[in-house]
Amino acid sequence: MTEFTHIPWLSILIFLPLAGALLCLVLWRREELCRWLALAVSWGVFVLTAGLFAAFRAGGSGWLLYEDHAWIERLGVRYILGLDGMSLLLVLLSGFLMLVAVLVSWRVRRHTGFFFALLLLMEAGILGVFLALDLVLFYLFWELMLIPMFFLIGVWGHERRIYAAIKFFLFTLAGSLLMLLAIIGLHLLHTAAGGAPSFALDNLRGLELSPSLEAWLYAAFLLAFLVKVPLVPVHTWLPDAHTEAPTAGSVILAGLLLKTGVYGLLRFGFPLFPNAAAASLPWLALLALIGIFHAAWIAYLQPDAKRLVAYSSVAHMGFVVLGLAAWNQTAVEGSILQMVNHGLTTGALFALVGMIDERAHTRRIDELGGLWGKVPRLSFFFLFFSLASLGLPGLNNFAGEILILIGAFQTNPVWGATAFAGVVFAAAYMLRLVQGVLWGAARGALFWPDLEPREGAVLVVLALLVLWLGLYPAPFLAPLREPVADLLNVLPQGGLP
Amino acid sequence: MSAGLLFLILAFPLLGALGNLLLGELLLRRVRAAVAVAAVAASALTCLLLWPLAAGEGTRATLFTWLESGTFQVSVDILFDPLSASMTLMVTLVSTLIHLYAAGYMEDEVDTTRFFVLLNLFVFAMLCIVLADNLLLLFLGWEGVGFCSYALIGFWYAEEKNAAAGRKAFLVTRVGDVFFGIALLWLFALCGTLSISAINAQASLLGSGTLLALTLLLLGGACGKSAQLPLMTWLPDAMAGPTPVSALIHAATMVTAGVYLLCRLFPLVSLSPTGMMAIAAVGALSALYAASCALAQREIKRVLAFSTMSQVGFMMLAVGAGAVSAAMFHLFTHAFFKALLFMAAGCVIHLTGGENDITRMGGLRKQSPFVFWLFLAGALCLAGAPLTGGFFSKDEILLADFARATLFYRGIWLLGTCTALLTAIYTFRLVYMVFAGEPRSHFHGHALPGPMRWTLPPLALLALGGGLLNLPPLYGGKEHLHQFLGPLAGTRIHASHAVEWALAVLAVALFFLGWALVHWRHRRAAPEPVGALPAFLLSGWRADRLVERGILRPFQVLAGWCWQWGDGRLIDGTLEGAGRLCLSGGERLRRLATGRLSTYLTALAWGLVVMLGYFAWRIL
Amino acid sequence: MIVPMSHILAFSAALFVMGLACVLAQRNLIMILIGVEIMLNAVGLTLVGASALWQKVDGQIFVIFLMAMTSAEVSISLAMVVYLRRRKGTLEADAFDGMKG
Repeated sequence: MTEFTHIPWLSILIFLPLAGALLCLVLWRREELCRWLALAVSWGVFVLTAGLFAAFRAGGSGWLLYEDHAWIERLGVRYILGLDGMSLLLVLLSGFLMLVAVLVSWRVRRHTGFFFALLLLMEAGILGVFLALDLVLFYLFWELMLIPMFFLIGVWGHERRIYAAIKFFLFTLAGSLLMLLAIIGLHLLHTAAGGAPSFALDNLRGLELSPSLEAWLYAAFLLAFLVKVPLVPVHTWLPDAHTEAPTAGSVILAGLLLKTGVYGLLRFGFPLFPNAAAASLPWLALLALIGIFHAAWIAYLQPDAKRLVAYSSVAHMGFVVLGLAAWNQTAVEGSILQMVNHGLTTGALFALVGMIDERAHTRRIDELGGLWGKVPRLSFFFLFFSLASLGLPGLNNFAGEILILIGAFQTNPVWGATAFAGVVFAAAYMLRLVQGVLWGAARGALFWPDLEPREGAVLVVLALLVLWLGLYPAPFLAPLREPVADLLNVLPQGGLP
Repeated sequence: MSAGLLFLILAFPLLGALGNLLLGELLLRRVRAAVAVAAVAASALTCLLLWPLAAGEGTRATLFTWLESGTFQVSVDILFDPLSASMTLMVTLVSTLIHLYAAGYMEDEVDTTRFFVLLNLFVFAMLCIVLADNLLLLFLGWEGVGFCSYALIGFWYAEEKNAAAGRKAFLVTRVGDVFFGIALLWLFALCGTLSISAINAQASLLGSGTLLALTLLLLGGACGKSAQLPLMTWLPDAMAGPTPVSALIHAATMVTAGVYLLCRLFPLVSLSPTGMMAIAAVGALSALYAASCALAQREIKRVLAFSTMSQVGFMMLAVGAGAVSAAMFHLFTHAFFKALLFMAAGCVIHLTGGENDITRMGGLRKQSPFVFWLFLAGALCLAGAPLTGGFFSKDEILLADFARATLFYRGIWLLGTCTALLTAIYTFRLVYMVFAGEPRSHFHGHALPGPMRWTLPPLALLALGGGLLNLPPLYGGKEHLHQFLGPLAGTRIHASHAVEWALAVLAVALFFLGWALVHWRHRRAAPEPVGALPAFLLSGWRADRLVERGILRPFQVLAGWCWQWGDGRLIDGTLEGAGRLCLSGGERLRRLATGRLSTYLTALAWGLVVMLGYFAWRIL
Repeated sequence: MIVPMSHILAFSAALFVMGLACVLAQRNLIMILIGVEIMLNAVGLTLVGASALWQKVDGQIFVIFLMAMTSAEVSISLAMVVYLRRRKGTLEADAFDGMKG
């Protein structure tokens, strides 16, 4: 076992896609090669993450893997990576969804090499975010995710791509620059308090801060993370970005980028500023509840299928944040599980909408209809993932939601009861989508090809995972138990309402 | 016998559904249907073979831990006790017959794979409700039947209307599910477990206010699934589905799930007298409402749908009166005769070539005496003809109400009795309009396929003889069902023989009165009444319009407001406003840069003057 | 020192103001350039004076730098003047507003 842990797995995990991205850039003229290279690299990363998951599926408290090297000595910046049960799950999700993203963008024809290079670059960034434990390193990866996404939306997106890309960029950048200021502030305060210059999470934790200062620094972190989640009222970049992004971009945005916000809160926001965080929980719950309803109502009216799914993302992330705000074992485990669930179902729905778009050349619900008669297999999966998304018991979203709701009800019955009412609206918008796309008379007599093997394989695997997580989520909950229990001790007791 | 075998009851329909889902397209049509029927029949057979396990306290079996997090732990465990066993047997038996019937009914349809997969999946989900020993598994079945109902109502999806009816059913029942779900969360917070047996055991420790609230929440859930007031609007529209679906889901099984839920949690529910009164009131009002609507309906299946709603109202009434055994008794007889009626109605629709409107039918008795007699058997049970199954069960419910000698329950009893009269009237109206007299229009009917014929007589026997299940001592019976349910049977009814006889005579009198009224009208060949009242009843008391105006439209407006104003103007508007502010600020500043050398130089000189002035001021 | 420092300062200030007035008042590019040169020379004069006053060589070094820089500046600016004259046929300063925002 020691042999095993001596290999720097985490660095390999980050640098493998980075190397792949560089190779893709070098070989950009040979598109076919780039495509297979991207597939091979993302497959390799997935195998690696799956292997890590298999090795550490029992979980345990503390770091399962840890790497610490000096980097910029003068400022005390270190290269620290760590893997615990929480990041293990998200790293696994990243590895898997990236593979899905590469597979669904098999038909990208413009600048293929650059496209896959950006995809792999983003994978490196996302994995880095989930693993970094030094604030400067974290910030570096945090911005590294942003830039490839900006280009993915701006270059390969749909009609209003420039608007969406700039909006996405400005929203996230505004948040993350404030976070950078807070990071530097924290560093300076730490040094002023007599500590050796450092940006490491472990060193900066437990710093004595005056309440108002803590609140301001926390607010800066919170804003950066909440924009990414996104929580109402800073969510409006998401519908535009999701709708205009290419399919792979939407899959990654919904499946992974949104998760970095919640992860950041759990890993950095809460432990660094426990008092301010405890005070903020009821407000987070309030915003989450508003988000659940607000987004669901808006989703109901959307004419564009992709936009509808995008708004449903906002509603689902409301549930996740509600679980955080409830702050007990069941709810937080539910939140993290729900992030995985949401990544799978929403990713699958975006992939499906993309597949429909490739065939119908429209995403407008009133222009689609009767797909069940035309492409029954695709329609079957569409229905399946829609049901998962609206929280049908036995499928994955229900497992996460019920944990969140049970936990939220224990913390505050009103939260749990109100959030439960949200499921009616989830059903309302999802069924409207299904109704508009699958049922009704078939429009247009053109023959459409049903799923091709590549698409079918992706969807079957996703569907099996959805069932697995819905019926037997225990293997995915097991590694969370101890990290979440440790995390819960971080906040002062009695900070809860 | 191992308790684990009980899971076979659940497994067979699931396997049938999976098998057809994966391989259905490769199989012959007949094989597909045979797989579906065999799956359900195997389930029924297993239930019969394992019957001894139900005796006494019943048997519990656990498969695996479904969810485990913190203190929250839920496993897939089932309870096979007298209540669930009898319900399981009824569900599987009726389902087997209806599956067989469906094999005939769907003979000429395309896409039967989807149909049979969903039908089998439905049986699986329904059995989950029945057998579940924890509320979360019950909820899985609860939502599962909701989905199957949705997909089957909209089976002929090419017509927008059918799919919309399915969606309506799903959404309205889901409103009820929210109440159930909140009750579930609350029960876990109170009891620390979701096991039904444990909750029932701990119920007596809860405060009366909590119990009332929980009862009302559970009632809300039951109202959604069982189409009771005020969540009833979906059931009549649900008739858009194929007839076997209406027979199975919207008559025999799923709509009674709400009643079953209340029976299952009866130890908890019964602790709140006010809650019980609410249940009885909802049941009685729904029964009366639906019966009045059934009087004016023009489509054969809608009449039956409203009558289902009305009869389920009777069951709720029984639960509200504390008579679980009476509720279950009526649930069983109703399942038999209503399934029979629906299937016979399916035959009628088949014979008339897809006609649904009873005002255009007539004279079918001569055309097909077979269907007539079977339909009549069902109708007699529904109307409460003496000595049929429906007579005994309905009588027992009214007796249970009457026996609770409070003013409230007497009032409820009166409502129930009125409903019984209305039931007789609308039932005979239906029979007369469809079967009596001469045909009102010419039809190109189809011949009935074999399976559609064979399956009716067994059901007719069950329906007519259903009274033997729980024959009261008054008629020399032993109340088998009541005895079998044992401690689960609810409150014992105490009534003198005189009262029992009086009520029985009253019921018989009402039955004959209703029949006589309809017969009289028919003899005079009176035309269908027109005017405001029939139109009001036909539209179901305009409930749909009320919902449309009171809920749907405000919701749309609110949602639109959130979108256009909330996201569009407020958030994006603010941010884009900030962006525009920056741009216009730049625009203003831009004017300073004229590009002329002289301007710059003048500015330079003025800057110099200001600086010099400042220094001069500092020095002086 | 033979000439008192105050005289040098007054003289160079007068020279500077004259250059400035030339820069501000004249419209011809060449005249403006001449004004700039006068101002530069005024500064140079002050530097030399200060160098003599404090008996330090720094000021004179600066002046040499200044002269070198001025000659470079003049050569470039005159070349540009020729170029501009060719482009627009005028040396009127206000005719060139390509930097207008």
